Amino acid sequence: MPLLDIRNLTIELDTPHGRVKALERVSLTLNPGEIHGLLGESGSGRTLLAKAIMGIPGHNWTIQADRMMWDGQNLLDMSTKARRALMGSEMAMIFQDPISSLDPTIVVGVQIIEAMPENKALPWWRREQDKRKTARQWLHKVGIKETQKVMSSYAWELSDGECQKVMIAIAVANQPRLLIADEPTNSMEVRTQAQIFRLLSKLNQLHNVSILLISHELENLSLWCDRLSVMYSGQIMESGPTADVIAQPYHPYTKAILDNIPDYSNPELHKTMMQTLRGSAPSLQHQPIGCRLGPRCPQAQKHCVNQPKLSHHKDRYFACHFPYYNEPSHDEPLTKS
Amino acid sequence: MARYLARRLNLFFATSLVLFVVMFSVTAKFPVDHTVALTGIHAPTAEEQASINEAYRLDKGQVSQFIAYLEQRLSGNLGISVTSQNPVFNELTAVLSASFELAFVAGAIALLLGIPLGVLASLSKHKITQHTIMAITLTGYSIPVFWLGLSLSLWFGVRLGWLPISGQINLLYEIKPVTGFLLIDILLWDSRYAWSAFVDALQHIVLPAVTLAVLPFTVVVRITRSAMMSIMEKTYIKAAEARGLRTYTIVMRHALPNAFIPVLKNLGLMLGAFASYAIVVEVIFSWPGVGAWLVSGIYQRDYTVIQGGILAVALIIIFLSILIEVLHTAINPLSRKELYAAH
Amino acid sequence: MPPIKIYQVGHIPSPLRRIWNAFTDNPFAFAGFWAICCLILLALFGPLIAPFSAAHQDPQALLLPPSWDPAGTVEHFLGTDDLGRDIFSRLLHGAHLTFGMALAIVATALVIGFVIGSISGMMTGLKSSILSHLLDALLSIPSLLMAILVVAVTGPGLSNVFWAVGIALTPQFVRAIHQAVHEELQKEYVTAARLDGANPLQIFWYVILPNILDTMIIQTTLGISAAILDIAALGFLNLGAQAPSPEWGAMVAQGLDNLLTAPWTVTIPGVAILCCVLAINLVGDGLRSALSPIRH
Repeated sequence: MPLLDIRNLTIELDTPHGRVKALERVSLTLNPGEIHGLLGESGSGRTLLAKAIMGIPGHNWTIQADRMMWDGQNLLDMSTKARRALMGSEMAMIFQDPISSLDPTIVVGVQIIEAMPENKALPWWRREQDKRKTARQWLHKVGIKETQKVMSSYAWELSDGECQKVMIAIAVANQPRLLIADEPTNSMEVRTQAQIFRLLSKLNQLHNVSILLISHELENLSLWCDRLSVMYSGQIMESGPTADVIAQPYHPYTKAILDNIPDYSNPELHKTMMQTLRGSAPSLQHQPIGCRLGPRCPQAQKHCVNQPKLSHHKDRYFACHFPYYNEPSHDEPLTKS
Repeated sequence: MARYLARRLNLFFATSLVLFVVMFSVTAKFPVDHTVALTGIHAPTAEEQASINEAYRLDKGQVSQFIAYLEQRLSGNLGISVTSQNPVFNELTAVLSASFELAFVAGAIALLLGIPLGVLASLSKHKITQHTIMAITLTGYSIPVFWLGLSLSLWFGVRLGWLPISGQINLLYEIKPVTGFLLIDILLWDSRYAWSAFVDALQHIVLPAVTLAVLPFTVVVRITRSAMMSIMEKTYIKAAEARGLRTYTIVMRHALPNAFIPVLKNLGLMLGAFASYAIVVEVIFSWPGVGAWLVSGIYQRDYTVIQGGILAVALIIIFLSILIEVLHTAINPLSRKELYAAH
Repeated sequence: MPPIKIYQVGHIPSPLRRIWNAFTDNPFAFAGFWAICCLILLALFGPLIAPFSAAHQDPQALLLPPSWDPAGTVEHFLGTDDLGRDIFSRLLHGAHLTFGMALAIVATALVIGFVIGSISGMMTGLKSSILSHLLDALLSIPSLLMAILVVAVTGPGLSNVFWAVGIALTPQFVRAIHQAVHEELQKEYVTAARLDGANPLQIFWYVILPNILDTMIIQTTLGISAAILDIAALGFLNLGAQAPSPEWGAMVAQGLDNLLTAPWTVTIPGVAILCCVLAINLVGDGLRSALSPIRH
């Protein structure tokens, strides 16, 4: 049974320009113990999806879905309190900007201790001491050596990397089953980036934490992820095992992204035109109907004004009427699998 | 931090000096004889005139006159009141404590009611609750304080007869001043009437304190609400939610301390308006404080009283606003960050 | 034939238009806006439509209650005071004293504050810090005390109220504009403009001024409501407009003797002040929230 199974999730935002569909019929399946990459440009609704899974919507959101199953329970039917309890224990999330996700007026240590699980076996007066000890252990595990110094610092006194490590320590302390990492290495230097990714992958292997890794860099995702989903303008374009997707993309968008990666292996191809899609991603309030890639897609035809269903071939899923794939596509509904 | 405190102290002295310069030059402009404006002594004898001339160095240049003026005022010599012939300094200490008492009670009412209501307004999802609270605060903000005071005393004092409308305490009680603060003095008073006197003093303070509290209360509600609204959308609140903390914990431990910072800052900015309101309130309820004393001073053209009162009030406001700024820096780690960045 | 529109053309409104739209979306703020328009008209033409003159005394109708009271008459719509003067007419005559004078004071304070504030804001170093100490000292004298100080020097009277409230208000404007300019100067886009070779005047006019306009607008609305309350408070304390004057605060003070027998002589001018300040605060609030997306 998949850990997380989302079908046709639609999120609408109330903006001054009226109600806008920011996410349109997004489906996502996440198996226990896998690292799932979510690739998309900024503005493609990745963070919205992450926050919707987590259950921390903004005040102007309307969320609809056929189902959002978490380990056999439907998240949509749960009360706020149950969701909050789930967030504390089974799901965790780390954010794009680690410094601003820590309270600026309280030292980091207090916030870490606050998030540590309580050891119910101990008498209550020793629990605080115990939490402090676990906090330091976790900080050690995520690779912070001077735990005392970090714990008595304010968030703005630490570097981005340290803050993100603290956030990871907070997130994994409750031994969650799913960790959502929303661009965890945004605006970090390469060395720190590598540290963070290695840390996440270690957590995945040692503690069997499933990770939903959100990023805009295909290179990183292809290195660390078992499966990959590609998003564009609030729609899922393609999803499948990372190696297969990179070896043979079915969707024009995925192919365009792969073509974007410069190829240094062939010196003859030096100074050729870079392969990119025409135009730029449309703004939120001016989305085209049907397949949102339509106006930019090299394969687009008249039929593309209808939104393609997510079809599948073996364990690959794609939403395209004309995929790069020699067999005729059958619009089989996904539910059969 | 020491350097910062030194700078603030320096600011206090510089600002106070400017204040003294302003007061010194205004004193010369008062439409009475210069010596009367300085000392309050009408028709001084030749001896007195000579000693005044010497004390204020009236025969020297402006700068030396100013230094003499500063020396006299800082040593507590504010002249004597024209009407009562008492030293202004003594009168001032008596009325200041009454004013402090009123201001303290009003401020406490405003903060204790304002902050919870502001939080409530920010967390409430109901449009009606929000609009009601905003309408109340906006009205409270716009109401002319003298009219509010009159209406309250008309209704609660005269029509319903619940509360006394003038003075600090019933004149039957004679309290020995120890600290100068009446409520504390009564508690220290060793008499079997102490309790009834205390109740009587409390009844007297209710109407003026409530009238005076309306302005800071509305400001506190509005600032708390807007600060809370913006903070609840911050990433670290979302992150705290994602950690599975209860809403109560999030509000009390993460949102409120952050929201209190702008509230504190605005309290400092509000001091001047608060003092203006206090003057009017004291006049309406005949509260024996600095405001009523000042206004009666101006009715009687008592220039030493005017000078002394304004100097005292302005110095207190300078001191309090710098104190609030220092407090703001002390409790707000973020402003310390700016401090480090600046140096 | 008009051209057929195939594509939905995204129209992005200008900033001014957007502020106006956001402002008119708020019904309370818009109501306040119309109320202020009416008040301005009343301040200008109030004396022309008033049924009686401000000093007209009707000995037949002393302390007449307002018309909705059984004892009231329609001739004296809001009743009369102890000298038989029509309160409604006096309110109309007083509009330009309280509201009109507040506008005039704020306009003056704004101009002076703008000039001094922007010059001092653009300055740096010792001169700037001396000026800000001076402003701190002036600001620490509460506006009413400042007014009392001015009255102490010049004596009470309506024309002195102008100076008293004006002198009390100007430092606030100077301070607000000084700080806004100073804060803008720290921004990166000012540095960018300076690197482009803009001289201080160009930086001020093209870069800083558009960004401090919102501060000035908000400060102005705050200033008007503060000025009205100060003028009225001075009138009430008998330090401003003197007894027969129909200034609203002074009217409250004159009604004080009859507070128990004829509470409307106090209530009605008070309500007039309240409505006036409320309208301004509604507009100020609306403007602030309309401007806030641009400020942040």
